[in-house]
Amino acid sequence: MLALVRPDSWNLPLFLHVLGAMALVGAIAATAIAAGRSQESPLLRRVAFMTLVTVVLPSWVLMRVAGEWINSREDIRGTPGWLDVGYIVGDAGLVVLLVTTIIGWWSTRRPERSWPARTVTALASLYLVALLVAMFAMTGKPGA
Amino acid sequence: MDAYDWLLVLHVTGAFLLIGGAVVAGVFNVAALRRERPSEIALLLGLTRWAVVAISAGLLVTLGFGLWLVHHVGYGWGDAWIVASLALWAASGFLGSRGGRLQRETRVLAERLAAQGDAPSPELRARLRDPVAMALSWSSGLAALAILALMIWKPGA
Repeated sequence: MLALVRPDSWNLPLFLHVLGAMALVGAIAATAIAAGRSQESPLLRRVAFMTLVTVVLPSWVLMRVAGEWINSREDIRGTPGWLDVGYIVGDAGLVVLLVTTIIGWWSTRRPERSWPARTVTALASLYLVALLVAMFAMTGKPGA
Repeated sequence: MDAYDWLLVLHVTGAFLLIGGAVVAGVFNVAALRRERPSEIALLLGLTRWAVVAISAGLLVTLGFGLWLVHHVGYGWGDAWIVASLALWAASGFLGSRGGRLQRETRVLAERLAAQGDAPSPELRARLRDPVAMALSWSSGLAALAILALMIWKPGA
């Protein structure tokens, strides 16, 4: 119930953090869908790559920067498990996203090869699941 | 985790479905705006069906668990932020369904043109850029964002 009583100064960073996370979830889902259906048209490989560059990565930055902003406002004792999950999914996620973006670019350059698009689909789907786990941990704060 | 935590998780999951689905629809609609061939436009608009499922589920889940949360926490049903959120929820659903219907008609036209030679069409181009359809869809998304802001600031609570 403590979450119900939140200082006003936390609201803007929380709004931006949640907005970034929601946009990231939608954009990574769009990437997975486009790459997963790209055997129907090479156009979808370009859509997946452009979504990664223009929506996924900026959303990640918004989510991560606003998350750090609100963390600097809150006085959280120690490092609870739910916060660890958020940091791991956030920070390790950047590596996954950068690798996915590079492979996505490669898939647009080599339309005759199917493995790059399949890899983009797998990595984007994996990261989508990780984001949903982080959403569960950071909202429900199990063990807090 | 207590009952409040579970209700909040499920409510927020609905919000992720709603706004995440809107982002998926936005990505494929914007990509379609940049294409000329009807077959490509039909393919991209066809992918927004995934988004429609997520948005519809999100609307239902946010409302159901949101109302349950109001009851569980004991917020006033007449609180301005709750009344405004419910009004925006209804507006978002209505505007989104009207915009979605126009986009469905555009997809059907694109599929028909694709089967008839797949040549670029001024009519399809105009339909894709129909200001009414775009205004309806973007207004629906903005209403959902306004609900998110109300949920966080809870003015008057």
